[in-house]
Amino acid sequence: MKVSYRWLRDVAPGIGLTADEATARLALRGAPVEEVDDLSEGLRDIVIGQVLEARPHPNADRLTLCRVMGPDGEVPVVCGAPDVRSGSYYPFAPVGAVLPGGFKIGKRKIRGEFSQGMLCSERELELGEDHAGIMLLEGEFDPGAPFAKAAGLDDFRFDVEVTPNRGDLLSHVGIARELHPRGQDGIVLPAFPRTGGNGTGGSGAGAGGHAETAGRAGASFIRGGPEAGSAGVRIHIEDPELCPRYLGAVIRGVTVGPSPGWLADRLRAAGARPINNVVDATNYVMLELGQPLHAFDLDRLADRTIVVGRARPGESLVTLDGEARAVTPEMLMIRDARDPVAIAGVMGGRDSEVSDATADILLECALFEPKQVRATRRALRMSTDASYRFERGVDPTAMETAALRAVELILAAAGGSLDGEVIDACPVPWDAPVVALRPSRVKHLLGVEFTPDKIISLLAPLGYSVATQGDDRIEFVVPGHRSYDTLREVDLIEEVARTHGYDVFPSALSPFRPGTVPDDPLFQLEDRLRARLAGDGISEAQTPALGPAGHGDVPLLNPMSADESCLRRDRLPGLLTHLERNMSRGVRDVRLFELGTAFAPGGDSVPAESARVAVVLHGRREPMQWGGSDRRFDVYDIARVMELIAEEAWPGGAVVPVQGGAAGAEPDGGAAPSTAEASGLAADAFVAGRFFEVVNAAGGVVGRGGEIRPAAIDLPPWAGTVVGTEIELPASPDPRAAVTACELPDQPASQRDVAFLVRGEVAAGEVLRAARAGGGHLLEEAGLFDLYTGDDLPPGTRSVAIRLRFRARGRTLTDKEVDRACRRVLKKVKEATGVEPRS
Amino acid sequence: MIEELRKLQRDALAAIREARDAADLERIRVRYLGRREGRLSGLLRGLGRLSAQERPAAGAAANRAKRSLGDALKGRLAELAAAEPRREPDLDLTLPPRRKWRGTIHPVSQAVDDIWTIFRGLGFTRARGPEVDTEWYNFVALNTPLDHPAADEQDTLYLAPGLLLRSHTSPVQIRTMEKYPPPIRIIAPGMVYRRDTYDATHTPAFAQIEGLVVDEGVTFVDFKATLAEFARRFWGPGTQVRFRPSFFPFTEPSAEVDVKRVIVREDGSEEETDWIEIMGAGMVDPAVLDNVGYDSERYTGWAFGMGPARVALLRHGVRDLRLFYENDMRFLGQFT
Repeated sequence: MKVSYRWLRDVAPGIGLTADEATARLALRGAPVEEVDDLSEGLRDIVIGQVLEARPHPNADRLTLCRVMGPDGEVPVVCGAPDVRSGSYYPFAPVGAVLPGGFKIGKRKIRGEFSQGMLCSERELELGEDHAGIMLLEGEFDPGAPFAKAAGLDDFRFDVEVTPNRGDLLSHVGIARELHPRGQDGIVLPAFPRTGGNGTGGSGAGAGGHAETAGRAGASFIRGGPEAGSAGVRIHIEDPELCPRYLGAVIRGVTVGPSPGWLADRLRAAGARPINNVVDATNYVMLELGQPLHAFDLDRLADRTIVVGRARPGESLVTLDGEARAVTPEMLMIRDARDPVAIAGVMGGRDSEVSDATADILLECALFEPKQVRATRRALRMSTDASYRFERGVDPTAMETAALRAVELILAAAGGSLDGEVIDACPVPWDAPVVALRPSRVKHLLGVEFTPDKIISLLAPLGYSVATQGDDRIEFVVPGHRSYDTLREVDLIEEVARTHGYDVFPSALSPFRPGTVPDDPLFQLEDRLRARLAGDGISEAQTPALGPAGHGDVPLLNPMSADESCLRRDRLPGLLTHLERNMSRGVRDVRLFELGTAFAPGGDSVPAESARVAVVLHGRREPMQWGGSDRRFDVYDIARVMELIAEEAWPGGAVVPVQGGAAGAEPDGGAAPSTAEASGLAADAFVAGRFFEVVNAAGGVVGRGGEIRPAAIDLPPWAGTVVGTEIELPASPDPRAAVTACELPDQPASQRDVAFLVRGEVAAGEVLRAARAGGGHLLEEAGLFDLYTGDDLPPGTRSVAIRLRFRARGRTLTDKEVDRACRRVLKKVKEATGVEPRS
Repeated sequence: MIEELRKLQRDALAAIREARDAADLERIRVRYLGRREGRLSGLLRGLGRLSAQERPAAGAAANRAKRSLGDALKGRLAELAAAEPRREPDLDLTLPPRRKWRGTIHPVSQAVDDIWTIFRGLGFTRARGPEVDTEWYNFVALNTPLDHPAADEQDTLYLAPGLLLRSHTSPVQIRTMEKYPPPIRIIAPGMVYRRDTYDATHTPAFAQIEGLVVDEGVTFVDFKATLAEFARRFWGPGTQVRFRPSFFPFTEPSAEVDVKRVIVREDGSEEETDWIEIMGAGMVDPAVLDNVGYDSERYTGWAFGMGPARVALLRHGVRDLRLFYENDMRFLGQFT
């Protein structure tokens, strides 16, 4: 809501705050000012200039040579306008001044005459479109005084953030109510200036009256039920639930044209664009009081009839913005005897719009049901100043004031006269809501004792009056402008807290009871994974869960773009795009992990969510450095990261290679749980024969990782291997089981190294596993410490070196015992794999 | 025997005194104290030939001699080391240390973590809820009728009619209260989604942290005090905290919480920031408590929601939110 600070002070003359103070106060009343525009900022250099003498330029027909009294005394000024009047006052830009457009005035010589400054037009000052002539100022001024102030243009425009519950703040009066110390009682609607403006002459009786004295215009109301009429116009409300009240005023003989300057200035100051005097008058009253109004060209209404009712099937209407809109029977229309002429509470129709040719108008001041207006404007995908206000609730008690004020302003700005009485079709009489409040409950919620008197004194300035008062009970009558928001006791308590001032409440910590909710174990697991993966040199990324259609099975109904049109089935593909992005920026060593949610179609059409961790590794295994290696990440690195994750997330689980076979092949045993299979786990991301699976203690596949298929990632051919993994996390991880510590050995160990000659088809891991199995209880550890291929070995074989460490509890092993154990290892390896030690 | 010991000790001490370097000393050690060839060891082996009366005294003397020689060796070694002129170091210690890759935790996660650390200290636990949720949990149960303009404030991404990506973490309030009885004292970090286009301050998916406290006797005073305490712990002790009236359908009274920080510049001077909005909050609306079957006459509570990405933005002086989600290694690497 954009408001003019001058306007606020005009409707509440008691506001004794500077603009800064006003913004600070509004913030503390729940209406923060997002932006303040100093409207005279561009006019800072402009002063009042009085033309002392104007005579034709000796060397140019169309120029005038003036003597202007300005801030530095008399100066000569050459002016291009033909009608400069001696003795008159004009906005004057002296030498050195900068115009709003940024043009700097210099001392010039024009056709042989010096010119020291410029008399300005409206357009040069960005005050209007008129550039035909310089801007004549009516009245007496001090030459040299600041122009903006003298002309009443020193104003600020506040952009006030209004929350959806505060429809009452969508007007100058509403905001002034929050600023004035006496609130509602401080509001006084000012008289309109008597200037006729642009030839309309202000011939209408009562121009310049006071709202309360609008009766002087001869206005009175003719009260009716759903049907009412006056001055040859009939109004019929067919659907009183959706339109509880409709006021109509017939004004004849208007002259439609530009608004008088003060009115146009006002609208501009509040951020609205002047259109013509009739439309501007309705907009003015809406901005002042919050009541949307509409003026119809009376001659364009068939049978001079207004029917408020639903659209008929198949109807359409061209609205003011030129759009042809198909309307449906759910929508409420304003109709004439034949067709819809406006969408109720949203926008008028173009055919009945006020135009330069309009002589007679019907002014509409109606109340429409908020939900109806909201549903209609949403269905039509539009929002207007009117619908915005109706949706948030328009004060039902301010309608008469608004109607009379608009009549008065139209008469003042566009002439004409009110014909007959103001028609009041009021089928649903207004009942002010009454809400009860217990002072004990105020204390219960706010923690501070408020006496009944204190409560009443806090609420009275907002317009609340006491209906009845009893023991621990005050019944308040809710004012019209708050009647949409204050429906319950707690709503009144909020008003008490707000007007008392949140900052006035004490701030003291009290003891608390611990809650019943245990700390979520998945958060704890994620914390541990974050710390371990970051500690492992991998940086955490965050990518959106939204991806293109191919990346998920759960589409959005209303996506923003094709790139983010569904929920991701896996996180790894998203992470890979961020690897690509790094690479395209020249970052060649990339290690990223992410914790996020993956989505799969679920039962009951609610997608199944699973927590995931994904990792990608690419580039060098260590930073470039002296004595370092250039080795690059490969599948064994990702296997280690997978082990790390499995250790935290799936105790008792294991990382197992998927040898040969197709990518994403069913794991041996086929015990994979359906969730893992259905949700993909990046099954098709890896190169066949170069990936691993994480198997949990129950034998289910809960993750995959390995070398990324080149087709799954968009990198230049020289980029080399990318490895990655995606692992599901348990929805509710078991708390970490306490480890039972082993005592340290008290005896020395014996170590033997054995090299096996392994044929190509035999897996080194099998040899190691057999060695472990064969070592018996004396074998403490068997580790693969060297892998060798060379010309000195038989073709197609590798040398696999394993270090065996033997130890017994409580005694030192003899050489004989160790030799025996070693032979058992060799035997087992031979049996299991056919492999023999290198001789 | 004792005489022999004395002589041995004299000889050995003399040799130790004359030793020039550590190698000399080692030779001396082997010569006298070596297990097999050492002269002292040889003497000790002769102990067995002595009479029972002589043996204890001789044994004690031999041990004394052994200790004294050991001490002398150590002492001379230290002397030599001290006397030795400083040699040029054979290691160039100006070489950079051996490095490993350094990983970092995402700045938004760090913000969540720091926020959690403070609330943990204030007695909170963490709760979690689904990212796909229903209109009931996201709006209706939170006292936000769909035909109210408040439902517009968050333009929502839908999967199907009635089924949506949560537009805030507040549904976790409902889910938690449905599952657990009071007292409730939780925060709920998580991702939320809105139909926003990417710009410097918006992304369609972003992190949020919900907070909820419900118990008997919880008041606006507790609400203010706890959040002010949080703000001071998070933003620094000099931080001023301001509560402004606002509107959220599920809290009443509602507030925006602003902080004004004191920033210490490099030259030591201090500067106050403007008021910065850090969260929306308020007393839990009784309608919300009624919706989960809590007795709203008996229980009261308060709740808040804040954006850790915004917090991270302010903390790290990042101008554009999008930087957080580009995941450029050079950007992430700064948040050690």
